Amino acid sequence: MKTGVYFCNCGTNISDKIDSEKIREEILKLPGEIRFRTIDFMCSEDGKEALEKDLKENGMERAVITACSPRDHENTFMRVLSKAGLNPYLMQMVSVREQVAWVTEEREKATEKALRYTNAALKRLALQDPLEHKEIDICPDVLVIGAGPAGLKAALSIAESGRKVVIVEKTPVIGGMPVRYEELFPNMECGPCMLEPVLGDVLHGEHSGNIELLTISEVMDVVGSYGNFIVKIRRNPRYVDADKCIGCAECMTPCPVSAKNEFNYGLDERKAIYLPFAGALPNAPSIDNAICLRAKGRDCRLCKDACPVEDAIIYDDAESIIERNVGAILVAVGAGVYDCKKIPNLGYGSMPDVYTSSEFERILASNGPTEGEVKTAQGKRPKSVAIIHCAGSLDENHKEYCSGICCQYAFKFNHLVGKKLPGTKIYHFYKELSFPGKEEFTLYHHAKEDRNTAFVRYRDMKDLKVEKKGAKKAVTYKDASGKKGSAPADMLILCPAVVPAEGSGSLGNILEATHDKFGFFEELHGRMDSAQSKIKGIYLAGACQSPMDIQKAMSQGMAAAGYILSGLVAGRKLEIKPITAVVDADRCSGCRVCMSVCPYKAISYDTEKEVSSVNEVLCQGCGTCVAACPAGAVKGNHFTTDEIFAEIEGVLA
Amino acid sequence: MKNQKPETKRKKPEDKKRSASGGAKSKSSKPAVNGDFEPKIVGFLCNWCSYAGADKAGTSQVKYPPNVNVVKVMCSGRVDPQFVMKAFEKGADGVIILACHPGDCHYKEGNYKAAQRHRMLLKLLGQFGIEKERCRFDYVSAGEGDKFVKVIKDTVDTIREMGPMKKTKKSTSERTE
Repeated sequence: MKTGVYFCNCGTNISDKIDSEKIREEILKLPGEIRFRTIDFMCSEDGKEALEKDLKENGMERAVITACSPRDHENTFMRVLSKAGLNPYLMQMVSVREQVAWVTEEREKATEKALRYTNAALKRLALQDPLEHKEIDICPDVLVIGAGPAGLKAALSIAESGRKVVIVEKTPVIGGMPVRYEELFPNMECGPCMLEPVLGDVLHGEHSGNIELLTISEVMDVVGSYGNFIVKIRRNPRYVDADKCIGCAECMTPCPVSAKNEFNYGLDERKAIYLPFAGALPNAPSIDNAICLRAKGRDCRLCKDACPVEDAIIYDDAESIIERNVGAILVAVGAGVYDCKKIPNLGYGSMPDVYTSSEFERILASNGPTEGEVKTAQGKRPKSVAIIHCAGSLDENHKEYCSGICCQYAFKFNHLVGKKLPGTKIYHFYKELSFPGKEEFTLYHHAKEDRNTAFVRYRDMKDLKVEKKGAKKAVTYKDASGKKGSAPADMLILCPAVVPAEGSGSLGNILEATHDKFGFFEELHGRMDSAQSKIKGIYLAGACQSPMDIQKAMSQGMAAAGYILSGLVAGRKLEIKPITAVVDADRCSGCRVCMSVCPYKAISYDTEKEVSSVNEVLCQGCGTCVAACPAGAVKGNHFTTDEIFAEIEGVLA
Repeated sequence: MKNQKPETKRKKPEDKKRSASGGAKSKSSKPAVNGDFEPKIVGFLCNWCSYAGADKAGTSQVKYPPNVNVVKVMCSGRVDPQFVMKAFEKGADGVIILACHPGDCHYKEGNYKAAQRHRMLLKLLGQFGIEKERCRFDYVSAGEGDKFVKVIKDTVDTIREMGPMKKTKKSTSERTE
């Protein structure tokens, strides 16, 4: 085996401290065919050329590069080896600049240390295997789960690039939460109007042909990995052909049965064939089979008779399981709100006129249960409204985190209540106030300057109690300074903590994506990679990752789209780096310790053969499983136990 | 080499063991009991934090003793207890394992695995008659060039004071047989 040791002088950076002649002398005494050569500035064009030429002309088979840190130029020299016709993994770099020359006082000691390192590198190199980058075909198409702002924004951008996108939405409508809100902070824009361009483009835009929208659908199963997922989706029947339906709503009036409308939080009723709210998109109703008379065996045809379009209503529509092949999955399932019944002193669920913010948004909306009118259960206009901030947030008994969006909508409510019902007294009970950003402060300032608005800071949720005083309600409190008081409250609006959406746990199990301690989907890195999950190829956007507002959700959707578009390109193969773990099936006893330590879920277990195997697309090459395997059956490519043993012996020789 | 002055050395580690239970503090105040002894130490550094921290010390050109010989692994989670045993077997007087700080691991949690294994390893080392102070685990981030230097200096001082690895009776007798 002919091995070249190439010593970079790095100007005088290395040669000043390390005696290359001494190194030459010593290593040439070692067994094997070793060639030693110094090169000035090996990373320069001339240096690289000299290295390549020397490797070729002398028929070198392996190379030790004694130079700077591999973090600087390992890739550079690996490319030179490739150009010289050598496998780039038959190289070992020795960091004699950063870790010897620059940090060692005496030249003699530095030379000795460099010699030990070179010796270790030679010993290790002799054992190194040539490794090849593998390439696999990928599918550039994408699955987006959740048709809220984050999911749609991403889906549209990906579709615009010519990729196919499958959107799976649990409900019959798209647009997520903001389309249910009449006005949005901070600029009081109309929610549905603001989102309309995105929704319109998804449904009927130039690139909508690339988007397959599956409403009332759920992801059932996912197999495969980054680049090649196979997704099973259950498509529940809508009983209405959304393409044929003209959205006239004629079918809804004659329907004889109704149920509470969950889109208005049960504050009003809807028919069995229904649109969740006026203006919901896609503009086609759906039939709720749980209450439809036909599902109970009755031959009711009133909706179909009223429908002016032939075959728009399909009574025999049925559930179907469909399969799609995608390369990446974006989770954008949004969030929910904390169950305020868990804070009984606030009276939610036990007293009338106590609403959560989501409910109040619908009350404010002109297409909501009261058509935008704010009135008490007795039909009266409230004279006083209490808004309880931090209901469950910043609270170790409930949720420790700040939900981030509540202050802003609370001051939006302040503005809207003041506009709809001038003169109404509004009390804000808050623990902390938070509205960072260049636009977000305005509504707060309006509230602060409003004569009818009062602020009470409380320390602990226990210091507030909603009580009935005769026919009226009041919030009795102890404020942050310890002062006790009471404020009338004909109506209460609670700002509940933002919590993970219902079902995000089971979706996480299907995707094998992890959750954080609060149950939100866990990001790869909180600041650097919040749009990626810990599973390669599964991305996150919007409030499923953390409480966030529309702006952040949209940006995160685009960030995820960026990852997907740059990572998966049609016609380009996915390159797999060879520094991964490999299980030797003959030695594997099937104990599965490796699976329990793998942070990437890259190891799977073959129940038939009773052995584990590593998915090299998912494996990131950390080697934790290699160290954990009690049978020594897992090999860590390029960092094998033998290679490291050789290196240890080398530095200690 | 390790067997030089076996009688005097044998006591040293025991003394040190008691005094150093809280860490290596007394290094500079107790100069050079074994001043001429140059300990051989193997350092297992993870690629992303600690190796980068060593590079940082390098680019800052801060000088530190040359006794620690770095063996790079991709993740501290790769450090198999066998590596440490091999290092002692091959004549190391000390071993250090440096990892990313908790929560910073490039591979998410390899450093936690490394920390757990280190705790187990200390128990095992005791059974081989190797003082636990000879095997140190610490966290060094990519930005902590200064800390890297401090850890290296501390470790070298500690091991220097402890003296060379003593041979257990068994291994010496095996060797003589």
